[in-house]
Amino acid sequence: MNALVFPLQGLTIIVCLGVLLHLQFGRTGIVNFGVVGFSGLGMYTTGILVVNYEVPFALALLIATALTGLVAFLLGLLILNLESEAVLVATLAFSTIVFYLVTSESWLTEGVVGLGTVPRPFDVGDTSTSQLLFLLVLVAIAAALLVYAARLQHAPYGRLLFSIQDNETLSRSLGKPTFRHKLVFFTVTCAAMGAIGGLDASVNQFLVPRLLTADLTFVVWIALVLGGRKRVFGAVLGTLLTVGIFDIVIELYVDVPREFAQQLPNVQLMLFGLTLILVILFRPQGLLGERRRKPQDSPTAESRKKVQA
Amino acid sequence: MDTLIIGLIEAAPLVLAAIGFTLIYYLNGFINVAYAETVTSGAYFAILFNSILGLNFYAAIVPAALLAGALSALTYVAVFRPALRRGVGKIEMIVLSVGLSFLMRHAVRLFFGVDLYLFDITDPSYLSVFGTGVTSAQIWAMVLAVLIAVGAYLLTYKTTYGQQIRGLASNADLAATSGIDPTKTSVLVWFVSGVAGGLAGIFIGVFSFVDYTLGWNLILIIIMVTIIGGIGSVRGALVAGAATGIATAVLTNLSDPLYAQVFLLLLFIAVLRFRAAAARSVKTLMARS
Amino acid sequence: MTGASSATRPPGSPAAGAKTLHLHDVHKHYGGRTVVDIDDLVLGAHGIEGLIGPNGAGKTTLMKLITHVVSPDRGRIEYHSPDGTVLLTQHSPDAIARMGVVKTNQVIQDFESLTIRESLLLSLAGAEQEKFYKVLRDKAFLRRADQEIDEYLDIFTFQDPDGRAGSAGEKKLLDILRCLLLKPRFLLMDEPTAGLPQEETDKVMELMRTKTQETDLSILIIEHDLDLIWGTCEFVHFMAEGEILLQGTPSDVRSNATVAEKYLGASHA
Repeated sequence: MNALVFPLQGLTIIVCLGVLLHLQFGRTGIVNFGVVGFSGLGMYTTGILVVNYEVPFALALLIATALTGLVAFLLGLLILNLESEAVLVATLAFSTIVFYLVTSESWLTEGVVGLGTVPRPFDVGDTSTSQLLFLLVLVAIAAALLVYAARLQHAPYGRLLFSIQDNETLSRSLGKPTFRHKLVFFTVTCAAMGAIGGLDASVNQFLVPRLLTADLTFVVWIALVLGGRKRVFGAVLGTLLTVGIFDIVIELYVDVPREFAQQLPNVQLMLFGLTLILVILFRPQGLLGERRRKPQDSPTAESRKKVQA
Repeated sequence: MDTLIIGLIEAAPLVLAAIGFTLIYYLNGFINVAYAETVTSGAYFAILFNSILGLNFYAAIVPAALLAGALSALTYVAVFRPALRRGVGKIEMIVLSVGLSFLMRHAVRLFFGVDLYLFDITDPSYLSVFGTGVTSAQIWAMVLAVLIAVGAYLLTYKTTYGQQIRGLASNADLAATSGIDPTKTSVLVWFVSGVAGGLAGIFIGVFSFVDYTLGWNLILIIIMVTIIGGIGSVRGALVAGAATGIATAVLTNLSDPLYAQVFLLLLFIAVLRFRAAAARSVKTLMARS
Repeated sequence: MTGASSATRPPGSPAAGAKTLHLHDVHKHYGGRTVVDIDDLVLGAHGIEGLIGPNGAGKTTLMKLITHVVSPDRGRIEYHSPDGTVLLTQHSPDAIARMGVVKTNQVIQDFESLTIRESLLLSLAGAEQEKFYKVLRDKAFLRRADQEIDEYLDIFTFQDPDGRAGSAGEKKLLDILRCLLLKPRFLLMDEPTAGLPQEETDKVMELMRTKTQETDLSILIIEHDLDLIWGTCEFVHFMAEGEILLQGTPSDVRSNATVAEKYLGASHA
């Protein structure tokens, strides 16, 4: 049981980031290729405040969230009215900058030596109970994000986001200040990524720049695209099928020969790459497919099929 | 002065890489992140012939570059052409190329491990250019960069293929109906692009070392400088590729990667915003004119 | 500035003069070609006005200049309403829409992720509803919205209002309804009937007539269906090569030699 707790914490973190990316990319069409930049900023800010300055964890997390939000706001202000291709490149570049920052400013971050130890947000005395409790907190946060994403589908704001993704010019012509909405939503969801990163600091406990490579962004993307980027549970399904299979099923339950075990993370990223190619070629909307067409209360659910064609 | 000359010299492989990347962006209109692995593959093919099979370095360049070109053409035929035919969107094409990039990069890592490989290049002769010592390999890199640039220019402007390439770039459907075989022409472009990328990888490897992240470490810079350069035509792209390659090399030599990256991002944003403002009503910011 | 709600006037009072658009020295060219070149133009002095002219006359561009989707090279576009005078060229397209100056689209535009009903709900929701933290069911808003939407769905028939708009005609109609639900005060209609079945066209025009009589709505219509223009509009502007060449009542314009030569001759041959 204890062996499961740590990988499950990591998996839940990926799910949280995946749902947030779903809100950005799957809902609004903001191509954030710098997920790890935002979560990493939150992670290191939390870590630095707690370890170097002995700030209480909750306060550190709050500051980290606000700081990430502020940075996202400034970046968004500059790039969100550019083409989606430019947003992709700029966010990727941003995450690279965060990586370099953490690596080179070692007076603050300890650089490649590593920063530690970030404690758990709370301690109930017994380590394994605390860990389990922490896992439950993370799962609760993931559940809350999922509920939010699901509710949003039927809320005015959700329709607004879809309209921005589908046809921003048309949305503007209907009086929607689309840039401001994108900026606010980008800021909020990136701040949330920062908060998740702050919690992840506590999962990892020992922070090294290697945690901030583009690999993490890639893992979140593959999970979301595989599951279905427009679907609320896309990130959950995708994470279970990718990180879940490798970090939990194979890691814990499959007896991998020692000489091969070393190559496992490598093979994993290879297969993720292959999966991504296959998904985009053969099932671009992901395993869960398009958004379910009809909201609740429709008496005409059957007749809809005809129109779809 | 020294830094400038070193910068200029080290720019040669970057110019090669930028030209190769640009050709594909110009032809197919998407950012091919997997181009990073084309660059890496050139370096590893050359290592294979040179350090492992013991071939002379200069003799190893030729088959290595050709193989990199072939690999590039293969990725087009096996992955990108089917995707383009299925009408995969611009952003999804990039995501697809990221997937391919991870697949190829980690395949390389699986076979070659994380070791650093060095080229076995005996007695590089030192020459003096304006008082700065340069090696013969560096001179070769510059010569090849110029040759490839001229070749790419001639290919797109002086041959029938060139007409077809320009036709394809502006409208693939129209080109197809007017009797151009898009596959043949595209494969050629991807091959040439691969050769340029492969050569870039080889020379970057010669100047330092070869490992599986060689191309990946460069690709973001290549993408950004190419977009900053603006791609209105191959002609423009060649000039932009050269200028930005040099600028990048100087930039990375003058400061540490953090500030170079910050500077590049700010420049990227500034240029795109300026272009967006200049072309308010025009839909595409960086697409072909 | 966000007031989308229109003050309803007592029925029967004249619409004229309530809201007008004044264009002064408005100029727009693409490359070397002048698309719009207007010295002085007043739009909206009559309830429903028509804007006619040959293809390429600059009619659509003129409308896009008003909604600021396209920026003029020079010139001023003023919007006079009971709330005061606003220089439209200083405002963003969305702000202009919120002031009540709204344009329907000639080329079909749609949100592919939204059903017809969702699309209409989008129109009705304002800044008040559209907050990222408001995800709970807003019963009051939904009740109000459904009522308004059903008013239109009673008049116009969609195959399935809870599915996506299927045919081109449905999309075109949806585009118009989205604009109407914004409760515009000045509606610019760019070829509203192109692609619509005749029956729906009649219903739309009938509704427009009612709206201009019962509320303070002003309408400007671009149409190639001239019978519709002569039958519906109180005043017609004739545009060619970027300039307004002639203005007047439908019968004036219809009988004018220039119009006949430049336009009617071609299309009414």
